[in-house]
Amino acid sequence: MLIWFLPLFLVFLLMGLPVVFGMLAAPGIILWLNGQERDLTLLYRNLYNGIDSFPLMAIPFFMLAGELMNRGGITLRLVEFAQALMGHLRGGLAHVNVLSSMLFAGLSGSAVADTSALGSMLVPAMEKQGYTRRFAAAITAASSVIGPIIPPSGIMIIYAYVMGESVAALFLAGIVPGIMVGLGLMAVIKVMADRYDFPIASARKSWPERGRASLKAFWPLLTPVIILGGILGGIFTPTEAAAVAAVYAMVISLLVLKTMTLSELPDVLGRAALTSAVVLLLVGAAMSFKTVVSLSHAPQIMADWILALTANPLLLLLLINLLLFVVGMFLDAGPAIIILAPILAPVFEGMGVDSVHFAIIMCVNLTVGLATPPMGLVLFVAAAVSKERVTTIARAILPFLAVEVVVIFLITYFPALSMTIPRLTGFAD
Amino acid sequence: QDYTIRAVANSNEEDEDYDGLQVFKSHVEAASNGAIAVEIYMGTQLCSNGAECLQGVADGSIDVYISTLDGAAGLFPYFQVLDLPYLMSDDRVAEKVLSGEFMRSLRDRALADSGDTLRLMTIGNTGGWRSYANTQRQVSTPADLQGLKMRTVVADLPQELARAMGASPTPIPWPELFTSLQTRVVEGTANGITDIMSMRFPEAGLTHLTLDQHSYMGAYWWMSNESFMALPEEQRRIVVDGFYALQQATFASPKRKSIAAYEAFAAAGGQVYVPTTEERAAFSEAAQPVYEWFTGTVDGGEEILAEFRSAVEAAEAEINDERSRDIQ
Amino acid sequence: MGFLLGVVRALSGLNETVLKAGRAIGIAALAIMVAVTIVQVFQRYIMNNALAWPDEAARFCMLWMTGLMAPTAFRRGGFVAIDILPMMLPPLLARVLNLILLSLALAVMVVAVQIGWREVTGLGGRFASASLFLPTSLDLSTWYRIPRSWMMASLPVGLILLISVNIELILRNLAEIVGARDLPPIPTGDGMDTGARGVD
Ligand code: NA
Ligand code: NA
Repeated sequence: MLIWFLPLFLVFLLMGLPVVFGMLAAPGIILWLNGQERDLTLLYRNLYNGIDSFPLMAIPFFMLAGELMNRGGITLRLVEFAQALMGHLRGGLAHVNVLSSMLFAGLSGSAVADTSALGSMLVPAMEKQGYTRRFAAAITAASSVIGPIIPPSGIMIIYAYVMGESVAALFLAGIVPGIMVGLGLMAVIKVMADRYDFPIASARKSWPERGRASLKAFWPLLTPVIILGGILGGIFTPTEAAAVAAVYAMVISLLVLKTMTLSELPDVLGRAALTSAVVLLLVGAAMSFKTVVSLSHAPQIMADWILALTANPLLLLLLINLLLFVVGMFLDAGPAIIILAPILAPVFEGMGVDSVHFAIIMCVNLTVGLATPPMGLVLFVAAAVSKERVTTIARAILPFLAVEVVVIFLITYFPALSMTIPRLTGFAD
Repeated sequence: QDYTIRAVANSNEEDEDYDGLQVFKSHVEAASNGAIAVEIYMGTQLCSNGAECLQGVADGSIDVYISTLDGAAGLFPYFQVLDLPYLMSDDRVAEKVLSGEFMRSLRDRALADSGDTLRLMTIGNTGGWRSYANTQRQVSTPADLQGLKMRTVVADLPQELARAMGASPTPIPWPELFTSLQTRVVEGTANGITDIMSMRFPEAGLTHLTLDQHSYMGAYWWMSNESFMALPEEQRRIVVDGFYALQQATFASPKRKSIAAYEAFAAAGGQVYVPTTEERAAFSEAAQPVYEWFTGTVDGGEEILAEFRSAVEAAEAEINDERSRDIQ
Repeated sequence: MGFLLGVVRALSGLNETVLKAGRAIGIAALAIMVAVTIVQVFQRYIMNNALAWPDEAARFCMLWMTGLMAPTAFRRGGFVAIDILPMMLPPLLARVLNLILLSLALAVMVVAVQIGWREVTGLGGRFASASLFLPTSLDLSTWYRIPRSWMMASLPVGLILLISVNIELILRNLAEIVGARDLPPIPTGDGMDTGARGVD
């Protein structure tokens, strides 16, 4: 039985085999045991062809744009802008932390980049004002998950590619959920700020001061406008938008803001290329894996199995959210999407859940999983930038996680929250 | 059950290809009394483009595959002959040509050029006839195509043709075409009505259709020669008959589906324009550079074009003869 | 022991040199990808004259970038894995487990590189590129249509480099099991550390 490749894969994964090898080894071994040697070629060919794709090129391009944005300067300007708007509130820097993440999310598609760029700047600043270090690290980690929810988003590019969805539709569907997470976190901060008497970061800024701060942040803040405007206006495809974003980031950091020199460029390119190569190989292996998912009829088997539990779609979505949440505790969002989307998405589409809506549920849930203990990637990054212990941050982050779970349920049971923008713009039906 | 035929089409279950495969499966499984099972894989579950899937057919990991012209052109450039515009006048001629010796001649060439691995089983239809459609204006003469950003596949002939019409050929992958039309990355495309409607292109603003019917949307059905020859002769006969039934089904399916498609197109605000005989002649005239390009640059192009033209002439003569007897 | 250390040093040096060259090409490939994509946007949107080749040229570069960069990422521990079990085990057991995992990965790559080579030399490699040509005469009058095999070679080449890295990692592991302590470190210089684990 070909379907045994799934438990075998799970064993390999838990043993610690890199995901990319597990996705090739488990199906390969079962095909071989089944005497289907000729299908090993199919496995290899999908690995190669999975990488050979134009839409996928958005990944290295957005990686590059993110690396460029991270090179100082740009992040600082975003934080100053956020501070001019919200610094005067009680718990000002905590609000600034969240708002900066929302702004940063429009430039970058990665939660890790958000945590490391904003955390290294804001955690020390918050500590100096009297916040505890664990609180500062926790709010940094909790708000960084907005990065891949508000477009652009690395994991949405992967989801769209592996499942044949429109990147533009997923990007547009992520806008409202991303803002909801941000506002939810701010609400929690407001409650805590009043109760624990959080400090105020700075005096209320006058409007001319705010004007100056937004002028300084103007060029970086233009990036999401260029990306989404260019896609919606037909100037370029999502993939090309990513290349334009990379070149734009290069131009503003080299020429306009002068926060980077030409000699740093090879390093930046190298980092982007290195990270991209890992992701691309993973996506290629996912396409191989998906082939065997088809050959083994796993979605049908899974559908029978799930429907035996209950046929109520609302209940099933609850179960799937629980499953995704648990998976997100142990696995990064990208690999989890690559492994689970081909198995789960067909089941729910068969039950009438809109494919874009399901994609958003999955992406947001697994992204929040990046900030959950024990294996949350951004917890580790937050620990590294703050020098606080992971377990300490993991406790402090719980109230913020609670609000993020509420957002997951809202977008699950009110499809209009995510679907309205893509529908109005004609990118989803 | 002794044999399993794994059949792949990159289109979806709304497509003519699926109709054809259903008929094939039904015939082969019934006629072989269950000795041959046919498994159908639609879409990109096993492989996602012509080069990749044909490679699978060549090594036997896929038994049956339907490729369109651009899929086969990378290996057999002369297969683009079917995409040369305005060579066949209607379905009746096309169906006679593609059921005749011309297919066998192509099969022998492909077998020879693929080291006896790729066997052309039949040529069907996948979506009727290719016509110009755009988001901008009514097109009644080649001059109206001037400057339009016309979507093409990344194959030489369609690009040469778009250029010959004065349009600007823009390569866009099929799954991205809806968004590209919607955002005006491209302004036109050359497709059949069933594909236009199954992809909901009118919703992306594609509302002007000109029925110039420049080329027949032929579909090449391949089988792994190794898998085919591994069957006993009796079973091979069943498979060959299965492909005949498949071909008939794909000839008929677009005709039936296009009725509803034209209605839906009109309901979505689409305008259909049928060019006059003179206008069609003008299109044909404007397309002349493509023939020179084909015979000049494609290996064996001259020979295959001549063969094709004579097959068309023979078919027309035969049909005219039949028709004149039928109306008496 | 001394012999094992010598082999590790030699292989480590070889991998370091070869992968450095690979990284240089990978960096250039990414730069070219960006450049040709921008050229295409400009040509299509400003000049209203889309080109056929940038798409394929960019994919060509992306495949080679992946093939040449991935071995460096693997060597620096940048491949995504769940490492709870290895972290919970005592050091010796963790090394034995690591050895098993590396051998499994090696088996995957050895099978893959064989299939990959057959693919490059087989029918699929003979498909001609639709848009990429090389001039075959100085006056640019004759052009050679690039076969798909030139793109397809990226993965087997990448796999060969990955195998070389994998063997180095196995030997390092063995050396550590028998108690070697002064192995040459795997450099993580040029800012490319493994902090960046993926797309997340
Ligand atoms: Na983002
Ligand atoms: Na933050």
